[in-house]
Amino acid sequence: MSKILLFPLLILLTAAAVFLFLPNDEKIIRKNLTSLAEYSSTSPEETTITTLKKSTLAAKLCSQPCLIHIESFDIGREFDKKELKDHILMMKKMLPDTHFTFHDTGVSFPENDRAEIMSTLRLKGKIDTTRFTDAYELSIHAEKIKSDWFFSSFTVVEFMEQ
Amino acid sequence: MDISNRVKKFFLPSLNVKYLRRIMFLGLSCYLIFSYLLIPLRIEGHSMEPAYQNGSFSFCWRMKYLFSEIERFDVVTVRFTGRSVMLLKRIVALPGDTVEFREGMLYINEKQINEPYVHHRCAWNLAPRKVAPDHVYVVGDNRGTVMSRHRFGQIKIDRIVGGVIL
Repeated sequence: MSKILLFPLLILLTAAAVFLFLPNDEKIIRKNLTSLAEYSSTSPEETTITTLKKSTLAAKLCSQPCLIHIESFDIGREFDKKELKDHILMMKKMLPDTHFTFHDTGVSFPENDRAEIMSTLRLKGKIDTTRFTDAYELSIHAEKIKSDWFFSSFTVVEFMEQ
Repeated sequence: MDISNRVKKFFLPSLNVKYLRRIMFLGLSCYLIFSYLLIPLRIEGHSMEPAYQNGSFSFCWRMKYLFSEIERFDVVTVRFTGRSVMLLKRIVALPGDTVEFREGMLYINEKQINEPYVHHRCAWNLAPRKVAPDHVYVVGDNRGTVMSRHRFGQIKIDRIVGGVIL
């Protein structure tokens, strides 16, 4: 290959590598969402210390306060980090074999330090001997505070009305 | 060319440009067809039993409503934010219809509906309600659970991804 062609090709490859591997706001938010799902998930072998650690880490990904809105459960208020941690802990104890995953996530930035996320939360697990699977559409808001992104609100989109 | 050579050439063709082009075309076609037109579904859950069993496979045909209208009793896939996770439900009422459940029996526009696809039913009671324009009413076939644990109701028509085949 001639040197004339090699140089632009190298520039193109470097630009592609930078685009792929350099962290940006969207990648950070997606990573936080994956971490949130991982921390909320519980396996039967999980020790109490790990459960406690994961609940703390999950709450740390949220802002202070964080709004939770689930119309069907009549929940619609702000929670502080301690309350969030306690609720996540309670949920993990109630669902000791449940895996959380986020799918079809879309992130938009109405402002530089604010993000709107639409995602599908999927739960898959086992209660006693019964396997279950469930899914919810979530509208999530995130805020950039001192270069870190935190989830500031979670709303379950109730698109099916009885 | 003898028969063994032909068989050998069919199963183990030489890796030339023509062959690679064919493989690429096949891969791209499969991707486009199975991502956008005929989406494979793995059914998880019991809400559509007995017609669709937990753990079975099916396909969502996205072109179904391109040239035909949505009909009552069609089985459709309903999207959340995308097409990776969807709900499988049966349309029981169309826009403007009145839906009601009395002791587990479905009533549409005050007429009792015979539902041969429902094998188990609990005594669901739901007061009459009118389906809004641009909406349809969807319910699962398995009515053997209490009403509060079954996800059903009216959804916007644009939430329907396609019909289910197989």
